[in-house]
Amino acid sequence: MNNPGSRAAPAPAAAGAARRWIGPLIGVALLLYLPVLLTDRSMFGVRLSNMQLLNLGLTQINLMLIAILGALSLTYLTGVAGLISIGHAAFYAVGAMAGAAAGTQWGWPFPLVLVVAALAGGLAGAVAGLPSLRVRGLYFVLSTLAVHYIAIFLITEYQLKFFDVVGIPLKPASLAGFELNTPMRWYFFLLPVVALVYWGLHNSMRTREGRALMAMRDHELAATSAGIDVRILRLKAFAFSSAIAAMAGALFSTLMTNVTAEFFNIDFAIQFIAMIIIGGMGSLRGAVIGAAVWLLLPTIITGFANQAGDSAGIVGRLFLDNKPQLVNLVFGILVILLLLFAPGGIAGIGAQLRERLGGGRQR
Amino acid sequence: MLAQVLFSGLALGSIYGLVALGFAVIFKATEVFNFAQGMLVVCGAYLAVTGVTLWNLPFPLAMLFLVVAAGVIGVVIQALLIQPLSGRPMLSIIMITLALSIVLRAAIEIVFGPSGRPLVTPLPSGVFMLGAVRISQLHLIAAIVSWVCMAGFGLFFRYTSVGLLMRATANSHEAALVSGINVNRMNRLAWAIGSALAAIGGLFLGQLQLASTSLESIGLLALPAVVIGGMQSIPGAIIGGLLVGITEQLAASYISPKAADIMIYAPLLLILLVRPWGLFGQRELGRV
Repeated sequence: MNNPGSRAAPAPAAAGAARRWIGPLIGVALLLYLPVLLTDRSMFGVRLSNMQLLNLGLTQINLMLIAILGALSLTYLTGVAGLISIGHAAFYAVGAMAGAAAGTQWGWPFPLVLVVAALAGGLAGAVAGLPSLRVRGLYFVLSTLAVHYIAIFLITEYQLKFFDVVGIPLKPASLAGFELNTPMRWYFFLLPVVALVYWGLHNSMRTREGRALMAMRDHELAATSAGIDVRILRLKAFAFSSAIAAMAGALFSTLMTNVTAEFFNIDFAIQFIAMIIIGGMGSLRGAVIGAAVWLLLPTIITGFANQAGDSAGIVGRLFLDNKPQLVNLVFGILVILLLLFAPGGIAGIGAQLRERLGGGRQR
Repeated sequence: MLAQVLFSGLALGSIYGLVALGFAVIFKATEVFNFAQGMLVVCGAYLAVTGVTLWNLPFPLAMLFLVVAAGVIGVVIQALLIQPLSGRPMLSIIMITLALSIVLRAAIEIVFGPSGRPLVTPLPSGVFMLGAVRISQLHLIAAIVSWVCMAGFGLFFRYTSVGLLMRATANSHEAALVSGINVNRMNRLAWAIGSALAAIGGLFLGQLQLASTSLESIGLLALPAVVIGGMQSIPGAIIGGLLVGITEQLAASYISPKAADIMIYAPLLLILLVRPWGLFGQRELGRV
């Protein structure tokens, strides 16, 4: 208290507070400006070419926001609770189907449809998590795989019984008479949802349950002896994560207006594992980064491939003819390189850089 | 009808058993649950296309090329991807095999084109009748070759000194290191064998259907086969493969082709719940 520097303290504190607020404020401003930019495709009256906008469209951003929900749910399960699921696509499908049943079959309003989807997902998650009472590690991973096939089979049967092979049509979403019929409206609906889920998960890690989950992940036996019932906790975590995934599934299928059970295959689930590995496992920020990279990079690569194709040449033709393969190749190699050299993902690299550049800024 | 279904189930099951055996060898040696095994099957089919159709090699030479090239692929995978990741959490290792299969699929589709290619080899492809059962010669040969390969591997594993070293390594890496075994070399050998066995499976699957990347899902049937048989058990993998093959054919012809998946994965879930170490595996004891 009586060291000489204490008199100068108020000024840096105020500056620190300003600095603490300026970043988020700029972020929010950018997030609010982004849809306008992508819809008008011009900045301050200056027209921007597709190339300058990296070929991004607002629908792509909306899909990314939904993917962030999926990645968050998986990062919560894998990074926080230490449970691995490679069958998470099943919960997407459960959410989509519950949404179709509630919205299209029973004609319920959209917000209620989302709640039904989340509840159905949570219930399915609690059932699918039952094997965790008996098996763990690799065996549990395999049980999620088996659950995935069983769930998709049942959902396909349901789809064929009540709808047809083409898929399930979903009612356009509307919130109290306000139709979500443009990408812009979707964006401003999805953004708060994602922010809310992010904030909720972020805070839940600081609750008793959240800390118990992390204790269980780090040392199950120690957690048990600290009085945590790990079996119930595991089921809860699985159900919670599945509920988020199911809500994402319902949102996804509503945005796409039509959905089939076959769409949610194992590759679909693998995408989300790739996202959280690219972004950085166990960090919510990593899930957001990973989903953004996974959803936006393909468009960017394809854009460049198109341009390279215009300037001809054998390499250009090769790019043009193999766009999806090229995207997969880049992603596969990206995941492999990150796993080999940067297990913390992009978020981990960012933290390392900050530490090195900022000379170890204190937190 | 039943005999017919059983025959094709047994023949396909033998191929699955072969692929599953390769899978089990890799898992036993390096504890890697190899989700790229399905893609290694696809690699085998395309290596056969390369050797037989593109390069017009004489058939025995093409087969030699198939096995050697597949082995090299296995060694490269182990040295570049698996060995650096030893000691990492399970999800990293699972994901690297998944990423590997994504990369392999993209590479194959860029080189050979996204649509499948017919694979024609000099192997007989006629049909003869045995009682009321139509026996396809290709199915029969596939089954016989699979059994020869499995028996060959069993003898190698059981009776040769290298096989002994491999078993010792699989049993305990530390103890093997202490006795002067080059553990990395043994692991590479295991990957080479596992990959070559998958490739031989791919040769037949590619010929029975079409050499295409969609063979991956058939190759991945080795997963339930291995788990049902018992992950640490070599004979278990073979029997698991046979069971999966027969179940798949029975379900496909008596219920519906869609039902095949659930008839395989529902028992898998049951086994995981009741007897996670599989039908033939050794019970793993948890230590604190």
